[in-house]
Amino acid sequence: MAQIEQSDKGGKKKGAQKKMSIHVDFTPMVDMNMLLITFFMLCTTMIKSQTLQIALPSNEKLEQSQQNKTKQSEAVTLILDTERDADGHVVMETDPETGNIYPKHIVYYYEGKPFEGTFKDNDVDGDSFIDADKLKLKEQRFRGNTDGTTNGIRSILHERNKEVMARIDDLKKEWKAGTLGSKKEENDSIFKARAREIRNDSTLTRPVVIIKAGPDASYEAVISALDEMQLNQISRYQIDNINATDSLLIMSWLKAQGKI
Amino acid sequence: MGKPKVKRKSTLIDMTAMSDVTVLLLTFFMLTSTFLAKEPATVITPSSVSEVKVPDSNLVTILVSGAQPKTDGSLDRTVEGKVFIGITGDKDSTYSTEKVRKDLLIEAAKLYNERHPEAKVDFTPSQVSAFSKLGMFGMPMKDLPAFLSLPTTEQDKIMKEFNPAKVGIPINDNRDMTKLNEFQIWMDAMQRIAQDYKNNGSVDGRGDPLPPNDHFYKALKQTGDGIAVKADKDTPYSTIHYVLDNLQTLKLNKFSLMTALKSEND
Repeated sequence: MAQIEQSDKGGKKKGAQKKMSIHVDFTPMVDMNMLLITFFMLCTTMIKSQTLQIALPSNEKLEQSQQNKTKQSEAVTLILDTERDADGHVVMETDPETGNIYPKHIVYYYEGKPFEGTFKDNDVDGDSFIDADKLKLKEQRFRGNTDGTTNGIRSILHERNKEVMARIDDLKKEWKAGTLGSKKEENDSIFKARAREIRNDSTLTRPVVIIKAGPDASYEAVISALDEMQLNQISRYQIDNINATDSLLIMSWLKAQGKI
Repeated sequence: MGKPKVKRKSTLIDMTAMSDVTVLLLTFFMLTSTFLAKEPATVITPSSVSEVKVPDSNLVTILVSGAQPKTDGSLDRTVEGKVFIGITGDKDSTYSTEKVRKDLLIEAAKLYNERHPEAKVDFTPSQVSAFSKLGMFGMPMKDLPAFLSLPTTEQDKIMKEFNPAKVGIPINDNRDMTKLNEFQIWMDAMQRIAQDYKNNGSVDGRGDPLPPNDHFYKALKQTGDGIAVKADKDTPYSTIHYVLDNLQTLKLNKFSLMTALKSEND
């Protein structure tokens, strides 16, 4: 592979040093390197996964006095469900407005109490379901944004947290203009601190969101719900387990819709 | 009159520069890359807008397997919800991944034996060192010693078979600290060794004291980035909530959920 060429231009002079030019053929070396590069490129991950941090409430029972009771007017309860077919696959559906295809994650929600008074008051026709006209449960989807307007459940949460959102939007403008701090890092850290302050400002009307996932709700739906909290700057939310009342509400809703 | 001679051109191309470039690239990839950990089950994580990166040290990864498609297109739900644990140690070589894994196994075995005096497990030093090389593990404790004695190829084979009765750390719905299930025993052992590392580095007084290191303890108990739950996006919440509730019972209330990045135009 390596060649040593002797240049013998001109006549042979006595005493003249022989000039040698050395050529090493690097082609096999390059071939091998390329193979190794390919191997490393295929075996490695450059993109790291992201994480979403959550904090679950402590399991210990709190004293009545220690508990922070949520005001009824502030509470929004989301109950998540995912429709699956007989094989267990998640059903996909097309959004009639945008034509996009989404997995069918259903968000049932109610604001404040699920119904006023007792269960008996709300079951006038005696079919052991809550009557359609008394039910405060509604149904929504995760739809994100289209052209800057919020859709689906996001528009409802956005509306509930609009005071905070408006302030954060103002702050964001300042942050983008870079007027919060002289340096980029300073600008970022002031933005983060101020945004946190706004999110936790108790003088503003802010919702408390309770996320309940039904047994069939997929992990993706739970993550989507947590994402909505982050996007809508909601600082107070919790994940809770579904209970019998919630199931009854959903059954009543499905009955009112004529689905069962 | 002589014919003009056609000059012969040499076809040799100088590959030196090319070689230089490839060697540089190779070095770059070798230095920056982290190998994909061998995972017993492939999951597609859901996407989220969160931009917090997964830490590369002091991390417990909890993998929850999802349902796998069968040949007829329906889903095999028997392989769903199997739990695996992967441990990554500190950057400080005193508390390397291998050391943390070894300590974890010994501590977990101790806790397990306290609860199951009738079926004690015992690990030989070679089994412990085999365990420290496992990227992710998920076995009932009673099967673990035999599994660790097998050669790597055999171990891989068992993991690949994915027999629902043989793989996965046993888990159930338990909120009672006195009746911890195996998953909770592993996580509790992790908590305990992190606590010992914070104090003096000798787990349960075994071995010589080491310089204290509270990185793992902080990650587990304070910041919440010491535990990452990784699950498939289609796995029902009824399966995932076992893991979440079990962690809650152990007072590991803060943890993270692993997601892929999604851009959201707002």
